[in-house]
Amino acid sequence: MKRVGAGLLPSLLTLLVCLLLWKAVSLFFPPVILPGPLALLERMIEIYSDPASYVIVGETLLRIFEGFVISMLLGTLLGLSMGLKHDIELFFDSWVMVLLTVPSVCWAFLSVLWFGISEVAPVLTIVLIVFPFVVMNVWEGTKAMEKSLIEMSHVYRADRALMLRKVLIPQLMPYIFSSLRIALSLSWKIALVAEAFGAGSGVGQELINWFQDIRVDMMLAWGASFMIVMVAVDLLIFRLWARRVFAWRPQFAT
Amino acid sequence: MTAQTIRTVGLRAGSIVALLVLWWLAARLMHDPEALPGPIVIGNTIAEDLVKPGPQGESAFLHIGITLARIFIAFAASMLLGTGIGLAMGLSRIVERALLVVIPLLLTIPTILMVFLAVMWFGYSEAGGLIAVMAVVTPYVAVNIFEGTRAMDKSLIEMGVTFKARRPLLIRKVYLPQLMPYIFSAFRYAFGVTWKIVALAETFGLKYGIGYMFFFWFGQFNMDQVLAWIIMFVALMLILEHGVFARLESRAFAWRHSLAR
Amino acid sequence: MAHVMLRKTARTDTASAPTAVIIDKLSKKFTVPGGGITFTVIESVSLTVGEGQFVSIVGPSGCGKSTLLNIIAGIESYDGGSVTVAPRAGTASHEPRVAYVFQSPRLLNWLTVQGNIEFVLEAQGVPREQWQPRVTKYLQMVGLGGQEKNYPLNLSGGMQQRVAIARALAIEPDILLMDEPFSHLDAITARKLRFDLMEILGRAKPTILFVTHDLAEAVFLSDHIYMMNTRPARIFKEVEVDIPRPRKPEDSVILDLEKSLVREFFSVLEGKT
Repeated sequence: MKRVGAGLLPSLLTLLVCLLLWKAVSLFFPPVILPGPLALLERMIEIYSDPASYVIVGETLLRIFEGFVISMLLGTLLGLSMGLKHDIELFFDSWVMVLLTVPSVCWAFLSVLWFGISEVAPVLTIVLIVFPFVVMNVWEGTKAMEKSLIEMSHVYRADRALMLRKVLIPQLMPYIFSSLRIALSLSWKIALVAEAFGAGSGVGQELINWFQDIRVDMMLAWGASFMIVMVAVDLLIFRLWARRVFAWRPQFAT
Repeated sequence: MTAQTIRTVGLRAGSIVALLVLWWLAARLMHDPEALPGPIVIGNTIAEDLVKPGPQGESAFLHIGITLARIFIAFAASMLLGTGIGLAMGLSRIVERALLVVIPLLLTIPTILMVFLAVMWFGYSEAGGLIAVMAVVTPYVAVNIFEGTRAMDKSLIEMGVTFKARRPLLIRKVYLPQLMPYIFSAFRYAFGVTWKIVALAETFGLKYGIGYMFFFWFGQFNMDQVLAWIIMFVALMLILEHGVFARLESRAFAWRHSLAR
Repeated sequence: MAHVMLRKTARTDTASAPTAVIIDKLSKKFTVPGGGITFTVIESVSLTVGEGQFVSIVGPSGCGKSTLLNIIAGIESYDGGSVTVAPRAGTASHEPRVAYVFQSPRLLNWLTVQGNIEFVLEAQGVPREQWQPRVTKYLQMVGLGGQEKNYPLNLSGGMQQRVAIARALAIEPDILLMDEPFSHLDAITARKLRFDLMEILGRAKPTILFVTHDLAEAVFLSDHIYMMNTRPARIFKEVEVDIPRPRKPEDSVILDLEKSLVREFFSVLEGKT
């Protein structure tokens, strides 16, 4: 355990140096352009003392959740089918490729144009961007599976369901897991873009409002606090869950 | 022409046709005909755009060219810096420890926030756009390359050391070739993210460029043009992604013993 | 922690058979990190390798033997005693050249066979004009003439190991270290390679320090055998193998020697240290 402490020191040092540098640089600018660490903290406290802020964050979280869940379900389904059946793969791979290529800002605009400023637009944007990503991940994971183990199951006459449960899914879990994690973090960020362009409310909306008002301090306050929530969720859900998913691996790689 | 090839071509062609048909249907079903123009209309619009001068008298190719230039410069800068940092992290524990804190932080910052900050601090300028891209892409590349250094075959490095190979030779012949898969995967991701951020930055007010045109037409509520420009953008990126990168990748990995990829 | 002393000047003694490697009372300890427990990996090992000789170290598989080679190769340090490597007689004074053939070929799969050999030639500072002639010569010597442009992954395990041997020979080493080089090959391939190695001995006349757990292999190949017990690594017997070459593994002389050595080994391993 002592070694852990020794390893932490350079990182903490870097953090400290960065904070000091930040403070130093911020002295040259007014807080609305470049707030120092303390000013930022004050803004965040201001924001979260107001109950209305929680509603805003709640809306964003809800949209993220909806978009993320839909993307994961549809994406895993399609990714699995593409990995298992070559025909399906050939048919859909160009669609997926195209979806992956369209920039998020484009989808954000288009969703708004089609569905107006509403709940649908941001969720749709999230799905359109995250879903193809999940498909790619699961698809690659399915293709990378050990043929030899599938063959072995065939020899022992394992039926489809058994094979799915005991051979395919366990091998797929690391991929699904890591794509879950990255999909969630993608969803966070897309949600902000989508809201900035047309949800009428939410954290993204706050960001663009303050951007247009040229208030970097408020923008950063919203942004930074949102990031903290993101990291907290990531740590809670994924660190804890990772233990169970990776129990069969000899090494415990993150 | 084997049966296999016919099937492959058939399915691929079928999927593109299906896409176009779906689009056409959706366009017809939309209650507001303006909202989703059909494929034929868009096709025409694109053709016109490429031939006639745009709203300010400039050619479409100017915008395309500028966007491409921005993408390549930002991408190259991020790849170089990211690879260098990743390699440095792999070779020196001090660098690793110091940066391992900073990088995840940078990676967590939402892209839009980065773009906003870059624009606020560096103005609506090329520098702002470049910095926005680099701030997002460089850390990702660095982490990827760093992971690559950790996955390297130590026994080969040991072999090199017993034969008294010096560090530059080791880096050239032992480290870098093993890093190639990681460099490539970082490449693809970096490229993808770069053009999306460039698009975003252009939308926010860089002058000229595909994103700029896209936003311009959006402001004019001209769906035909908006869709036309999106498609041109996507088509361009797809060509680059698959035409150029796929080729580069297979040549770089010629030594691999027929790995299906 | 000491490192290998490399004698830089060319030898002047011609009276007795010139020696390539002298190891004198070498010892090495290993401390478990964080735990504080120290145990002796190598305990007072002394051996010499004469120039042009094939010397084997035989012992059960364990850390000591490979560690010894690593020390001579300069990639591990030692705590007591000395290691001296002298340049070949007749060569100009130079930094002694140590070549190493590992258990696995450790080839750079992304370089051609030629590229792999050139890699070590470059590492050793051999002038470029000599590269092509050496590559051709030593590939032919190991029976892989014509394979220059091929990639390692297209070669069988045995062929890859031959490339590793050619690579080692190409630097024209003062001492060639071999760490159980045939143990990862199937018996048939290993046998073929042993024969070929014997032939190479006749042509290139390298100085070899060979580590193995296989007594039969040691008797077949060596001029001199050091028998070693491990944990800690210690030499407990030396044997001169006077059998003329070319040798056949089925020769009764060889089998007899092997039998007696096996008996010795087991009595030692059973604790009669």
